Amino acid sequence: MKKIMLVLMALLLSVSFLYAAGEQESAVVDESAEVTIEFWHAMSGDRIDLIQGIVDDFMAENPNITVEVQYAGSYNDTLNKVISASKAGNAPSVFHSYEIGTLGMINSGMTVAIDDLAAKFDMPIPWDDFFVPVQSYYKYQGKHYSMPFNSSTPLVYYNKTLFEEAGLDPENPPRTFSDIRDAAAALKKSGIDTPITWNLHSWYFEQMHCLQDAPFVNNSNGRGEELPTKVVFNGEAGNKILDWWIGMYNDGLFMDVGPGWSNHRAAFGSGEAAMIMSSSSDVNLLTKSLSEKGWEMGTGYLPRPEGADGGVAIGGGSLWMTNGHTAEEELAALKLVTYISSDEPQKAWHKGTGYFPVRKTAMAELEEEGWFEENPNYRTAFDQLLDSPETLNTAGSLLGVFPETRAIIQSKIQECYAGKPVSKALDEAAAQVNELIAEWNEVIGL
Amino acid sequence: MKQAAFTNKYLPYVLLIPTFVILIIFLFYPAFESFRLTFYKVNPYSGAGKFAGLYNLQKIFTNPGYIQSFLISAIFALGVVGVGLTISLLLALLLNQKVKGAQIYRSLLIWPYALSPAIAGALFNFLFNPANGLVGYFTGIRTWMTNGNTALFVVILAATWKNLGYNIVFYLTALRNIPRDSLEAAEIDGAGPVKRFFSITFAFLSPMTFFLLVMNTIYAYFASFGLIDVLTEGGPAESTNILIYQLYRDFFVNSRIGYAAAESLMLFMLVVLLTIVQFKTTEKKVYYQ
Repeated sequence: MKKIMLVLMALLLSVSFLYAAGEQESAVVDESAEVTIEFWHAMSGDRIDLIQGIVDDFMAENPNITVEVQYAGSYNDTLNKVISASKAGNAPSVFHSYEIGTLGMINSGMTVAIDDLAAKFDMPIPWDDFFVPVQSYYKYQGKHYSMPFNSSTPLVYYNKTLFEEAGLDPENPPRTFSDIRDAAAALKKSGIDTPITWNLHSWYFEQMHCLQDAPFVNNSNGRGEELPTKVVFNGEAGNKILDWWIGMYNDGLFMDVGPGWSNHRAAFGSGEAAMIMSSSSDVNLLTKSLSEKGWEMGTGYLPRPEGADGGVAIGGGSLWMTNGHTAEEELAALKLVTYISSDEPQKAWHKGTGYFPVRKTAMAELEEEGWFEENPNYRTAFDQLLDSPETLNTAGSLLGVFPETRAIIQSKIQECYAGKPVSKALDEAAAQVNELIAEWNEVIGL
Repeated sequence: MKQAAFTNKYLPYVLLIPTFVILIIFLFYPAFESFRLTFYKVNPYSGAGKFAGLYNLQKIFTNPGYIQSFLISAIFALGVVGVGLTISLLLALLLNQKVKGAQIYRSLLIWPYALSPAIAGALFNFLFNPANGLVGYFTGIRTWMTNGNTALFVVILAATWKNLGYNIVFYLTALRNIPRDSLEAAEIDGAGPVKRFFSITFAFLSPMTFFLLVMNTIYAYFASFGLIDVLTEGGPAESTNILIYQLYRDFFVNSRIGYAAAESLMLFMLVVLLTIVQFKTTEKKVYYQ
């Protein structure tokens, strides 16, 4: 009797092993099961309808999947809501987060890496088809964690008409720090009080580190084995950027318009400033406001110090998937984010918002349609993106305390406007941030 | 007179239960939690914590930015309360006269109170922003919001304006309740309008002024962060960064839960202190009818 039992047990064990092994290779899920998932995003205004439209198309293609889309407020609000929901055990399957939240999300313990899910369901994502800066931003130690969604880069916008009046070549935008300065000086001479402006945002400061292929934080720009422990933006690269920026302010070439995203656009639209830096997603808006006055607008690459050979990093947001869901829900979430990144939705998204399509095939289709002949200024943004080499520095830095770091940098820049020396301000900012990083690295391990 | 009495000893407690359940869930428990979190280091995502003793409080007191924010809040509150109460008393006195169309003026003056702080902020942004602000255009000075001192002035102005309607309504009611015979008697005795105002009107208004003093201080400390967020984001260079805005940022943006809890404890202590001081000093000088 005992022997029979033993044999039975052994048989049972071996069968269950087989079963377990099978499950690891590709999860057994019922692909046609009725499933409902939630998707929270952070895009307001017209974009709510645009996203709903994309999701509706997805549901039409996948009749067994119901997606409840919700606009959850700003990136910050969305993140806070997701965290609360996750603690309560009912996080949305898919949510939208800003790029600077990436390191936090990876370490949050509430997300699943998209590459892991893709492997689990044997649905590989064609990363080669994504633009390099777009996919490399969300890649951490060789693995993609989230699906790129709304992506933009900073650009220089300039008023061609005012350029011509100042004797500058309107077809040849300034490309370097000293080009910009010279152009601003010429515009000032032609009677424009404050030739250049941009909003007070640390984003430009960060991007200009990428342009110099210089790290922003240590440990491989935050992308190494260890979490970053120090910021390095108070080095040569950072000083070069702020010396130029504050120098133009001190010489009356640059107008300080404060934080937010409307003042610099207004100054550009009214012709008070002949050049601004802003997000590439402003192309439509700014073209329109200049043409109302009968002016022509040009765009150029983000300016860099002479001889710098880096590229821009992507800004914007991506789609994350949370853990703690059934395999059916996970599969539906994966299908949803893959669909959103496919060509048709990306083209619609690009045309409706000005954010980049994330894939090369989508761009090729836009080109075929003649989209760039109608909208030449989008070409600049794309070229700038394509000209960016892939390094850990140009991929953009990862840092857990990014929102606070930005606030500190912006505050220090304002102190520089009021007369504080650049290197001192940067050293102080770095010291403050380093303290925060030490605290974050400790609590994230709890 | 015989008072109605509960015959059942437990009934009053049973009747109190619903109130207490709500108070405990929405007031006492959160207050206790934030008090507890003051002494913890907390993971922003999982909420897991580790006892850290006085770490967060020590961080607060060794942070020069916090001390500065403390001072700015005091200046802001003084400005909002002082300027606000003076102007609204003046306007209420004017409104209390028999003028044609007084009702229309009254409604118009109360209007700003109906706006949300964010809208009020947006309106002041139209006036003072450096790119295309109206005030900048007419005065030729464009740095209203990019210079630390004037930025603080602008947010005080906006917060004061926003709360004017509230103060005016209360002052008007108080003015209506001043007994006419006292004023008439003073007039017969030969008191001039100035003397009458300070000796009689103002004395009768003192309970209301006291009430408004408390309410406006609380408004300045706690209800004005929407305005700051829209107008200046605490800048330039932290010059309008009042305590409540810093707390909002530390909790909702920076996710420093333990530190934010310690900040809220400080604000709580401040309110307790303010209330005690105000009651102690004004009890003697306030005349209740």
